[in-house]
Amino acid sequence: MKKQPLLLPVILSVCMAAGGAMAKTELHLQRFFGACDAQYGTNTDVDKAEGECGIMTSLINQFSAEHPDIKVKVTTVEWPGYDQLTAQMASRTPPDLVTMHNSVISDYQSRRLILPIDDLMKQAGVALDDFTDTAARGIVKEGQVYGLPIDTWTMLFHINLKLMKQAGLVSEDGQLMLPHTPEELLQQARQFKKATGKPYLVQILSNETSAYTRLFYTYMFEQDSDFFANPDKVSLQSDKARNIVNMLKQIYDEDLTTKNMDYPASVSGFTNGDGGILMNGNWLLGAFEVESHNPDSEIYNAYMAVPYPQLFQNDKLYVDGHSWVMPNKKRDKAKLAATAEFFKFMKENDYQWSRTGHLPSVKSVLTMPEFLKLPHRQSLLSVTTRGTGLPEGVKRQFAVQDILGEELAAAVTGVKPIDEALKEAERRINDMLANL
Amino acid sequence: MSFTNSRKEQLSSFSFLLPYLLVFVGMIVVPLFWGIYLSFQKVDLFGPGKFIGLDNYVRLLHDRIFRQTVWNTLYFVILTVPALVVVGLLLALVLNQKTRVTSMLRGVFFASTILSVTVVTLIWRIIFIPNDGLMATLFTHIGLEPISFLSDPDWSLISIAIATVWWCLGLPMILFIAALQQIPREIYEAAAIDGANRWAVFFRITLPSIGRTIVLVIIIEIVMQFQLFGQALLMTNGGPNNSSRSMVMYIYDLGFRRWDVGMAAAASQLLFLIILIAAMAQFYVSRRKGADV
Repeated sequence: MKKQPLLLPVILSVCMAAGGAMAKTELHLQRFFGACDAQYGTNTDVDKAEGECGIMTSLINQFSAEHPDIKVKVTTVEWPGYDQLTAQMASRTPPDLVTMHNSVISDYQSRRLILPIDDLMKQAGVALDDFTDTAARGIVKEGQVYGLPIDTWTMLFHINLKLMKQAGLVSEDGQLMLPHTPEELLQQARQFKKATGKPYLVQILSNETSAYTRLFYTYMFEQDSDFFANPDKVSLQSDKARNIVNMLKQIYDEDLTTKNMDYPASVSGFTNGDGGILMNGNWLLGAFEVESHNPDSEIYNAYMAVPYPQLFQNDKLYVDGHSWVMPNKKRDKAKLAATAEFFKFMKENDYQWSRTGHLPSVKSVLTMPEFLKLPHRQSLLSVTTRGTGLPEGVKRQFAVQDILGEELAAAVTGVKPIDEALKEAERRINDMLANL
Repeated sequence: MSFTNSRKEQLSSFSFLLPYLLVFVGMIVVPLFWGIYLSFQKVDLFGPGKFIGLDNYVRLLHDRIFRQTVWNTLYFVILTVPALVVVGLLLALVLNQKTRVTSMLRGVFFASTILSVTVVTLIWRIIFIPNDGLMATLFTHIGLEPISFLSDPDWSLISIAIATVWWCLGLPMILFIAALQQIPREIYEAAAIDGANRWAVFFRITLPSIGRTIVLVIIIEIVMQFQLFGQALLMTNGGPNNSSRSMVMYIYDLGFRRWDVGMAAAASQLLFLIILIAAMAQFYVSRRKGADV
């Protein structure tokens, strides 16, 4: 009985020590790319997963399975989720890691809302040199690394080869004929319409603004236009800009494109054979590849994807990418170590993510035989070297994209004269950037 | 002794009011004054602001897009509020009978109100979407050129208004039915004995008897429809060419996408002022006309 007072503290301290040893480090990840827990919620075999959501969910599941000492908590947000992230940051409750477009990093980095990850990358054994130049350019701000890049994406020509053949735009040896100048593009589009009775392009022209902007950026880059020479001020009233809008307007006026389609309508329109070429992102590559093996599909054995064809002097392409970034909050050593482990895991599994259709951010994946065997990837490899984003100092790129897309659409559809639309876009963007 | 009892009763009553008052002050009064304070600041969500006086208001009033959103919102209110009142009243008149069919129809017409904005917009996008949409199919079937309901600047806001009237019709209808059922039967019986026709009964008895409810419905709908957001965001994203962008969408864009909280607060104050003026004007006009409100 006399030993009892001593026994209790001993038991308690043993329990506490055991509890401490058993306590897991929690890593709160927040991501977009959709929710698919019913199908992939417990899948840890990434090889068996398909699509952005399936592969990302399975990758995180695999990481959890391989790291039993780390408890991974995942929040899935509606794309792109920045309004929610901003509110979380304002209330000082951000996640530990979050997916972010490279074009958005400047907004958060300039206000010190995300942290540089150079030290953690070293800890994880990941070097900036491991990544493609295009991916690396997207995450380095003021000499520091602010995100672990997971991919590079761009807009593609998704092509219905059956209709292109019908239009005489596939040569006898099976080579697809692509335009090399705006005039050739128009000529091919007219030829296509005449032969098939269908529009050459399938475009998203309703309820969406980004498609026109991305196309505009690519063809401004191709003309060496330095329209963001000063990151705080855009310059859009130029002949180079007019060249692009005139080309788009002519396509629209001559009914060489589908009209009034929103995003889902354009995707289903392409698979239904409503037109020859869908202009959309590389994330649709996997889905269309699957569709092209369906004998009932209009693109059965007749699908191909290439980057936007070069129409002007050089071959630059507008690209963006996704990265994991680290919101600014206090972390202990264990959480930092867990984050480093996660970075290492994501870098090592970049091939799996590239199966979605996104281009790899890791250089070594580009030469992996299994990557090169994936359909259409050979013709897309150049995107990782010639891809260009807006200059790193340009802030509010999503808002810029919306304004520019609205005004371009107004010009193309004839609601506003081209010069007025370009002038108005320039005024609105500069007013916004001048008042940040 | 009676003074003590009265004080106790007052305290007791106040204790019932207190939770509501706390929520009201915390969630309405404080944000209202905080919003006014922010509207004079250059501020985002992450740091102290800088006092800039009326600059945010000046910028807003010089902004063509903001002015367009003000007009869009007013036009939307003009499109929807009279329609909601008239159609709601007509439905209430037709369904103000105690039969199984009318009870069921009341449920059917009210059902749309309980749907979320996401479901409503999904339904109406299927109806309005070009090429394969219900309206496009109908137009093609009868040999007409389909209208681009969501991508034509002249139609975008009208399309959203049609979806909104369908969605919001339940509340005015139910309020009108409740008001109609309060009118004493004796008045109608007396009118019948006097040989009054249907129109006379409607204009001399029914309408004056539900005057208060009509004013209430108009004010509720003015306040609600000025806050157009979800339908416009999901159906047209404010386009094309800002033709369906509402003031609330503009405020959301400023505050959460551009982080310009000060200017968003200024736009919110202007919206508040417009709603207040519109609702008060309606109230004032109704009183002058002699409605018993």
